[in-house]
Amino acid sequence: MKDLVRQKLSIHVEIMDLLNKQIQKEAHSSSAYLAMASWCDHNALTNSAKFFYDQSLEEREHMLKIFKFINDNGGTAYSPEVQGIEHDYNSLQEIFEVALDQEITITKSIHNIVYKCRKVQDLNTENFLLWFVTEQAEEEQTMRRALELFDLMGTEGLALKFIDERIPQIRE
Amino acid sequence: MKLLFTSKYFSSYQYDKGRCFYVDFYRKTVKLSFCQLLAFRQQVKKINPENHFNGENKSGIEILMLCNREHIFILDTLEILDLQELVNGTFGMLELNSLLSAPA
Repeated sequence: MKDLVRQKLSIHVEIMDLLNKQIQKEAHSSSAYLAMASWCDHNALTNSAKFFYDQSLEEREHMLKIFKFINDNGGTAYSPEVQGIEHDYNSLQEIFEVALDQEITITKSIHNIVYKCRKVQDLNTENFLLWFVTEQAEEEQTMRRALELFDLMGTEGLALKFIDERIPQIRE
Repeated sequence: MKLLFTSKYFSSYQYDKGRCFYVDFYRKTVKLSFCQLLAFRQQVKKINPENHFNGENKSGIEILMLCNREHIFILDTLEILDLQELVNGTFGMLELNSLLSAPA
């Protein structure tokens, strides 16, 4: 019997399922950052708002990268539904803590797919995901740098304004 | 045509010459390209049979539309459970075939 699946699909079917789940996570992450940007905008934290708008766009680009990878390799990518986005936060510090947790969750998820790729010998997807492994380490580091600013300057009064002014530099 | 898997109500086949698949729904046989087979799998996997028992799906039926809405199927709880078995079995056999066909 011909291996029609392999002829049509360059990635493992179970890996395709995991990548589709990852698309959902990236989309959720993108929407969550948009909610954070909105909160910052409403609280006159202009630089932080811009930072989260950019983060939202970046997560969407990650999502599209995976989306196209699935389709380019003969699979079917599914457009994600996004639900349960939190819009209420107590402080900018809380927002960055949530953002860091979110990045850690995404990192773990990417790592799990890489482990699965190794198990089923899907070298194509493993190679594709290595870019995400590096990217996630950088994303986590960016959020940690933001949280270090709160350790350094505190969270009260003018400190918040100074932190907001420093936010554009945390990516550097 | 090679039989891939048979469940209580349904069967799946691979047709090498036509490079396609067939699913026998006991009164109707549907031809599926690989892409359509993936879409069929996704639709069946998305169904949560628990909803048939916890009151969320009061009718106890599911409507499946296959091949870009060319075919419509109305299935009850037992048929859905059986269809999920068919999908798992079919893809299990296809994976086994990939392993056996792979060069040593």
